[in-house]
Formats: sequence, C-alpha cells, structure tokens
Amino acid sequence: METFLDLWAAYGSTVTFAMVNALFALSTYAVLSTGVLSFTTVVFAAVGGFLAAQLSGKFGLPLWAAFPAAALGGGFAAAVVAFAFLRLESHWMALASLALVLITRVTALNAPALTGGVNGLIVPVRVEPLELAILLALCTVVFWRLHRSWFGLASRAVREDAAVASTMGISPYRIQFIAFLISGVVGGLGGAALAFTLQFISPETYFIGIAFTMIASTVLGGSFHWLGPIIGAAVFTALPTTMQAIVPQIEDVAKGVVLLLIMIFLPRGLIDPRAWGLKKAAKLREETEAKRAAERDAHA
Amino acid sequence: MRDAGSLLVLDQVVKTFGGVAAVGGLTAHVRQGSVHGLIGPNGAGKTTVINLITGLFHPSAGSIRFNGAKLEAMAPQDIAATGISRTYQNVRLFSGMTALEQVMTGCYLRRGVSLWSSFLGLPAASSAWRSTREQALHLLDRVAMAHRADELAETLSYGEQRRIEIARALGSDPKLLLLDEPTAGMNHSEAEAVGRLVHELRDAGLTILMVEHNMSLVTAFCDSCTVMNFGRLLAEGDPKTCIADPAVQEAYFGRKNDADRIQALR
Amino acid sequence: MQLFVEQLINGWALGSLYALFGIGFGLVFSTLGILNAAHGTYASWAAIAGYYAVERFGVPFPVAIAAGVIGGGLLAVVVDQIGFQPLRAKKTGMLGALITSIAFWIILDSLAGFATGQQSLAFPAASYPNQMVVMGPLRVPQMQIITIVALLVCTIGIHLLIQKTRIGAAMRAVGWNEVAAALGGVNARMVILLTAFLAGATSGLAGVLGGISTSNVSFTLGEGLMLKGFAAVVVGGYDDVRGTAIAGICLGIIEVFVAQYISTSFRDGFTYMLLLAFLIARPRGLFGSASFVRA
Repeated sequence: METFLDLWAAYGSTVTFAMVNALFALSTYAVLSTGVLSFTTVVFAAVGGFLAAQLSGKFGLPLWAAFPAAALGGGFAAAVVAFAFLRLESHWMALASLALVLITRVTALNAPALTGGVNGLIVPVRVEPLELAILLALCTVVFWRLHRSWFGLASRAVREDAAVASTMGISPYRIQFIAFLISGVVGGLGGAALAFTLQFISPETYFIGIAFTMIASTVLGGSFHWLGPIIGAAVFTALPTTMQAIVPQIEDVAKGVVLLLIMIFLPRGLIDPRAWGLKKAAKLREETEAKRAAERDAHA
Repeated sequence: MRDAGSLLVLDQVVKTFGGVAAVGGLTAHVRQGSVHGLIGPNGAGKTTVINLITGLFHPSAGSIRFNGAKLEAMAPQDIAATGISRTYQNVRLFSGMTALEQVMTGCYLRRGVSLWSSFLGLPAASSAWRSTREQALHLLDRVAMAHRADELAETLSYGEQRRIEIARALGSDPKLLLLDEPTAGMNHSEAEAVGRLVHELRDAGLTILMVEHNMSLVTAFCDSCTVMNFGRLLAEGDPKTCIADPAVQEAYFGRKNDADRIQALR
Repeated sequence: MQLFVEQLINGWALGSLYALFGIGFGLVFSTLGILNAAHGTYASWAAIAGYYAVERFGVPFPVAIAAGVIGGGLLAVVVDQIGFQPLRAKKTGMLGALITSIAFWIILDSLAGFATGQQSLAFPAASYPNQMVVMGPLRVPQMQIITIVALLVCTIGIHLLIQKTRIGAAMRAVGWNEVAAALGGVNARMVILLTAFLAGATSGLAGVLGGISTSNVSFTLGEGLMLKGFAAVVVGGYDDVRGTAIAGICLGIIEVFVAQYISTSFRDGFTYMLLLAFLIARPRGLFGSASFVRA
C-alpha cells in the first residue's frame, strides 16, 4: 500500500494528465476515423473548459452538472464548425481548422467577461482522478459501441474511400457531420476535465500545445482503433516524465527523437488491427504450404 | 417508345473534361431483366458512363433516367438508394476490412435500423445486425468466398478480390448492377464462373450492365449491347450482329489493310 | 501624412517578412503535401547561424545573410530526408509527416534554446546596414528596404520558376500526384529536394532579416513568424506564391495601422478576424480557383 502511495505521489499527476489527454485524443480520433484531419478539438475544449469554469465558478454548479453542460457546448460548437468547414477539400480543412485554433485564442483573449482574458480564470472545483477515470471509461464505452455499429462500419468505409462508400448509399457528409458532433462532445468534456484538473485556465491553456499533443497521441497510438488514442495519450504524456528520469537536461530533445522513431518505424501507430490481420494471413499461408509439403512427402 | 421496357435510359448524355468530350451525346437503353454489354476500345468512355450513372460524375448535358427517377443531378448515395450498385475496373475494396466486413458495408442500405438504434444496441438492432450478417455470408457463399470471410480482403488474390467486390455490390439488393470489367485479370474458368453468376442473377430478376473487353465473353454473357467509340454510340442491339458490324470491327481492329500492314511489319 | 507613409512602409516591411516565411510553408504544403510544423524552426536556426557567423567570425552582412539562407535550406533538406522521406513509401498521407514534423519542431526548438543560452540575442548594431534612407520628408530604415526588395525578388523568382521552367512544371506535377509524376519521367526526388531547400532558404531569409530588424534571435522568432506566416498562406491561398506575398504584405500593413490608429491590444485580433472572414467567404484564398470541390 505504501509503495502504491509513493508511486502515486510521483506519477499521479502524469496519470491524471494522461486521462485528460486521452479525452482530447479520442475527440481527434472521432473525426480522423472518418478521414478528416481537424485541429478543432482545441476549439471544442476551449468552449467546454470556459463554460464549465464559469458555471461552477459563478453559478456554483457541481461537477457532474458542469460536465454535461461542457459536452453540450462542445457539441454545439462542433455543429457550427462542421457546417462551415465540411465543404472544404481535405488539405484546406486541415489548414482552416488550425487557423480556427489561432482565432479561438485571440477571441478568448478579447472577451475577458467570458474567459477572464489575459488574467485567466480560477476554477474552484477539482476533479478527482477516480471521477476522471469514470468519465474516460464512459467515453470509451461509447467508442467501443460505435466501433461495432453501422456507424463504425460506415465511417471506416468513408475514411478508406469516400467515393466508393457513397456509391454504396453511405453519405460521407452525414457520417463526417456525426463524427464532428462526437468530437465536439468529447472535446468539450476534455476541456472541462482539463479546467477542473489545472484549476486555473487562460486562453493560453487551449492552444497549439493541446493541438499537437492530441494529434501526436492519436497517430502514435494508432488511429484505426479506439484503443489507439488512449494508449497513445498514455505514452505521449508519460514520455516527458520518463525522459526527465533517464536524460535530464535534454528531455525535450529525447521526447522528439522517440516520437520521430516511433513514427518512422510504426507509421500506423502502436495499435493497428490491419497489421494483426496481415500477420494472421501470413501465418495461414505458411500453414497451408507446410500442410501441402507434408502431403507431398506422404505421397512420395 | 423503346423507353417503355427500359429500366435505364441514357438520353444524349455529354461529359466534358476541360473542354474535351469523354462522352459526346450518348443515347442508350437497358431493358429490364437483361444482361446488357457496354463495349468499345480502350478510351471509348465506358467507365465514364458508369461513373455518370452512379453519380461520381455529373453529366455536362443530357439526362439519365432510371426506373422513373432522374439521376443526372443526384448525389451518389441517393442514386445508390434508388437501387443501383456497382463494381470498379481496378478493384476498390476498403483497406483493413475483412471480406465479410466489405460485404456488410455493402449491406448498409438494407440494414433496416437507424444508426442511432444500432449504436445503442437495442434488441431489434442486434437481431437486424445478425440477419444482415447472415445475408452477407450468404452473398460470400454465392461467389464461393465464404471460407475466406474473416480474412483481410487485401491479402487475397486478385480474382478473389473481384468476387468479393461483386458480393459487396449485391449487398444493397440492387435492381441494376453495373459491372466494370468483372473478368479482368481472371483465368478462363474463373471468368466462366462469373458468367454463370451473372445469368443466375438475371434469372432472379436483376438487370445487369457490364463493361466487357473480351468479345467472346460478350457474345456468351450478354443479351444485348451498346458499342461505343470516342464517347459516341457506334452500334446497338444483338451482340453478335454488333460485333459483325464493319464499323465495330474497324474501331477494334483498325482498317483491314492497317492490320495487314502491321502483320507485314512483323 | 508623413507618419502615414512611414507606417505604411513599416507595415509593408513587416508583412514582407510574414510573406517570405509563408511562401516556403505554402510551397511545401502544395508540392509535397506536408503540413510542416517545423517550418518556423528553420527561421530560428537561420537567424542563429547568421548571428554566430557575425559574432564568431566577424563576417560582413551579405555573408551573414547567405549563411542563414543556405543554413536554413540545408536544415530543411536534412529534416525532409530524415523525417519525411522514410514515410513516403509507406503512404501515411498527411498525418505521418505532420507527426515527424512536430517531432522535429520539438527537437530543433529545444536545441535552439540551448544554442542561444535560453535568451534572446541581438545582432551587433555595426554588423548590418542600420542607417536611415532619406527620401524627401521620409526617413526609412535601410533594413526595411532590404526586406521589401527581398520579398519582391523571391516572389517573382519562385513564381517564374514554378510557371515557366521545366523543373517548375515538374513541381506542379508532383503537387498533383507523386506516382503520376514519377511515371511521366519527372525526377520526383530532385523536385522534393529542391522544394525542401527553397522552403528552408526563404524561411531562413525571413529568419535572418527578422532576427536583425526585431533584435530577437531565439526560438520565439520562428514561432512568431509561424503564426503570421500561416495566416498569410491561408488568406493568400497555399498554392499560389503571389497570393501569399500580397496577403502577407496586407496583414503586415493592417497590423501596423491597427496598432497605430486603433489599439495595440486589437492588433492580433484584427489579423485573425480577417483570417476568419476569408475562411468563410473565400476558403481557397485570393487566387484560389473556385472549381475545386470535394469528390
């Protein structure tokens, strides 16, 4: 028990941040798994974060009322973004969504009544790691259900080949719109979770840093299965801590190098169902050949 | 007049790309319950016609009517919902999906439940999912691929992938099936099997429009055909008569003395 | 009136830096399909290279510029060959290269921090042309004129290169489809290296010029340029050098004028409001063709 407490004292905050980052990564995965690269998770997180902070700070809303509000806020923002951006071609979509992240920060800076402006906001409520774990588990169940549903099948088809999917009666627009709504809800929850973890937020909290953390987590873990973003967030969050323990001084450099190596050698991420399938096929082929060889020997 | 028994009618369809006409005013009729061949030399615009019918391209002019619906301005997914399904010239299966998942995706239109209830896993949705899965397995069995249901489609041979693609296209239970060179890259017995399947499907009430290169297969498979060259109609009607047509012979093999000259050069 | 014109030139010079930086970013994005998060670090490192060339070896101004430009270009080539080349065969699309570019961004930024001792360095005043050019009633710093001319030369040069030369045609072909370009006899590898070098070199030029005129040689230099250069690319349209140049200049002028006549606190806000307006009204940029839609 004591060793556990020691470990928690040392790595507790890493675990907490890994869970928050997992929410951001899942939000990014939601759209990425329908073939859309978008950085707007940061925007949804900002909406959810400031909304939750204000509701709990000004109106004394408890944690479990603030989270659904943040989810709704994020979802609403996502609907607006999807409506404006889904008509863009994919390269433009990526650029436009990144631009929107910059715009969000400036907007937040210039709306002190809502966001506290440069001074930021103090958040009086704190989320316990256990509560965070429950929230993440709930979100994971949603993604697990989605993966095994018609939506999951359709979104994989749209991602792999949107034109072919459309000739099978699947509307890429509709699938990607729904994906944005999911991304918005989960991103809003993540933003609120971050606010309740840090207990202080400012426009700088929801900025490029989160954008790159979430996209790196998702791609690192693998964007072809819901488990990927969660694993990826854990690895990416633990990386700086680990590197600091191994190579202090140059921990950032080491973090970059590890990211680079994983990407070059495992470009489809740590969790890759397709690679398992390919392995299975190779094994099957080997077995059949072995069987045939055995039969030949028996005949001879 | 001829429109009466036709399931699909192309009327003066034009498609231009940057000023060049890939299809230049094509008129064609596909009779209900027939196997109709769409043939012509390379670059005649056959695949473009298939893309126009399925909505991946929109015609620059002209109209396409299917079963009372005007397709020319519709989105691909809406056209699919009217009962049109297709395969592709170079197999376009989804990467990372097993054979069964490919066909399940093809069954999207007849899943019978909303996305929402499927997500919630309501009992009705679960049983609908199971029955669709059965149908998908049955379709794989029809193309003799059931034994490979759980394998990644991309690990299978080219001929096997083509058969899975046909099963996927049948998933939506279409009225009209468009096959774009279904026997390309297959050996003779595989091609024969596809021919038998096509006839079975026709006898079960399906209408089939197929792009085919191999002349002997066209005469063996098709009830009628449309011959295209340079995006225009060259001949139409009975396959044997069409192929015997001097204009068709010339389009395919060049002028008689051209062929002699080529022969001489060798 | 005199103040107005001086501020106009001031903004034009600032915008020229954004545009100079943005050109390379857009070039890599349209030709190689890479959203390069490390593009800002080329500028930081070019400024650092220029600074140490002056500080350690006492080289004259043009040599310091050349050190930055060539250094930036070579750095970009190295990053491309280590970080992007291995992914090209694996078809990871835009994502893989984005992640490796983030990795390089982290690595190069933190190394830049070490190189400058975690502080912001300034070029010695005697090492660059720091006089005022007097034109009638106007007094314009020499560096501003050099920056404005540098952008003009680079824009015209790269535009002609892309539109009029064979290698430029090859670059456009690669931008459409690398497989097709390889089949068509285009030496895709040559195009990749040239594009990477050009992008790094222009970013480097912006870095050295910016490092001198803002007296800020550190990793924050590249990050600042990245935010504004990116805006210039989006407003101007990433597939057209002229668009980026014009958009960059406009953004610089607007920034200076808003700060002068409205309020310094609205400076960035205004830039990004413009960006938002463009995203909604003209998502393909100033020169972007409207015919491009999602298939």
